Amino acid sequence: MFLPKNSAHPLYPLSRSLRLDILEMINHAGFGHIGGSLSSIDILISLYNSDLFNFNKDHFILSAGHLCPALYAVLAQKNIIPRSELLTYGLFASRLQGHLNLETPGVEYASGALGQGLSFASGLALGDKTHHTICLTTDGEHNEGQIWEAVAFASKYHQGNLINIVDSNGYQLGGSTAEMMPLDELASKYLHFDWTVTTVNGHNFNELQKALKIAKSSSIYPTCIIAKTTFAKGVSFMENKFEFHDVKKLPEEIYLNAKKELEAK
Amino acid sequence: MKTVDCRFKISSIRQAFADTLFELAVKNPNIYVVDIGLRPSLYLDKFAARFKSRFIECGIAESNAAAVAAGLAASGKTVFLTSFACFSPALNWAVIKQSICYNHQNVKIVGSHAGLISGDLGATHQMLEDIALMRSLPTMEVFAPLDAIEMKKMLPVLASSPHPAYLRLVRPPTTEVYPPKLSFTIGKSQLIQSGRDITVLGYGPILTQLFSDDFKKYSLDIINCSSIKPLDSDTILESIKKTGRCLVIEDHQKNGGLGDAIANLILSSGIKSKFIHLAVDDSFGQSAANYFDLYHHYGLSPLAIIESLKKLLSKS
Repeated sequence: MFLPKNSAHPLYPLSRSLRLDILEMINHAGFGHIGGSLSSIDILISLYNSDLFNFNKDHFILSAGHLCPALYAVLAQKNIIPRSELLTYGLFASRLQGHLNLETPGVEYASGALGQGLSFASGLALGDKTHHTICLTTDGEHNEGQIWEAVAFASKYHQGNLINIVDSNGYQLGGSTAEMMPLDELASKYLHFDWTVTTVNGHNFNELQKALKIAKSSSIYPTCIIAKTTFAKGVSFMENKFEFHDVKKLPEEIYLNAKKELEAK
Repeated sequence: MKTVDCRFKISSIRQAFADTLFELAVKNPNIYVVDIGLRPSLYLDKFAARFKSRFIECGIAESNAAAVAAGLAASGKTVFLTSFACFSPALNWAVIKQSICYNHQNVKIVGSHAGLISGDLGATHQMLEDIALMRSLPTMEVFAPLDAIEMKKMLPVLASSPHPAYLRLVRPPTTEVYPPKLSFTIGKSQLIQSGRDITVLGYGPILTQLFSDDFKKYSLDIINCSSIKPLDSDTILESIKKTGRCLVIEDHQKNGGLGDAIANLILSSGIKSKFIHLAVDDSFGQSAANYFDLYHHYGLSPLAIIESLKKLLSKS
């Protein structure tokens, strides 16, 4: 059991089963970004299983396209794509590409190159002021200068209908974010740009729901939700090891051990 | 070294762009401008003052602006992303690829001050690689008006097309030569002057040099390739089949420019033709108070064109 405090929450079973989906997809395809998919999945579950937003009208932009296994798992859970399609992830001619593609139902923005999604979300929020646009970025992605261009822009245009959730798992491809390019005091950086900032445990559904509710009620300030997460959450021997940012074909022993941990009650 | 024929009217393509966009925006509330800090240089003050909520100023931040434009387009707007070509599409190419092209967003990228013709600003500002960058992107259409008259005809067509497009503008006022009777169609070239011996192809004001008296003694098919992509292969090949001699002239690098596209077209068609490509040959531009000096230095002046015509007509 990896989330003792959270386990009473009604979304907790999804947290386990969708992690298993992510593992199965990546194991079947022989590649995928497992660390970030496992750190961000609870954020996505929270977003898609909340009454706060309706993604037939509100917009969700996944800026970090490499987290697509997590998004595919949620889209299947919501019956937006057939569950049976999950195991086509990353395979030739599949709609579920190795990074996002517009062919996939429920995908509003095809991302892959980092740092662009928040700008796209800002443009969309400007063009559709009657709904909310929610963007998911990562802490590593904040290395990109374009993120900060977008942060300034959203502030200038008082985009109260824009929410940026940062999956802050502390790791990226080449090491820890602290080591690669430190982002100390991310909250103050956003505050200086006149954003509203909330910080949550990104694996705690109560906290995530509370933060989304606060963000939704904002009038003129864009909101940044800094979701503190654990890299590769749920598989103890992958947690906080940057080598699991992306994996190739998993050795069978690793796959079976990961599965065992995720299945354990 | 210059030939200026003062019988022609001189006018600004940039001004024609701004005026036509304003007229379109009066009729169409869906037209937005996303500007990258260069509003006065693109003559957009009037647009910005009249359509406050449809003029989005991003400041000097090309990457953000390109994706903001894409996001606005995703909400159903027709978006013109305005800057100098040396900044947009140069600094934000990967954003244009992903956020605009791969996401099928209706954004028109307007790159002004392109080419040596844009003059005294020097090599950093004389964008000579924009056509190469934009031609290579899937779904992207590429256009460069010959003069202000064609600009006025072209813009309404672009505004009503659902595809991403790149529009190349230049800085100085230039000669008006476009026959008023012609109309602009995406994917069509216009035979502006017809002759027997040589097919001359190009886009933008550099082609207007061919309309001076110096060229009267040559029998030329002059084809305006303002629709650089999609390219009108039928009109172009029909002419080359007739003349067997082809001269491409462009204010751009040789590599990746229109000349490359035409050479490919000729070779793939099996038509036999002599071929000369006049363009900047793998070098940087430089400042000059008068762009005629630059055209002379880089082999794009009327003199260089006449030498090329003679070479094409020679027996060897």
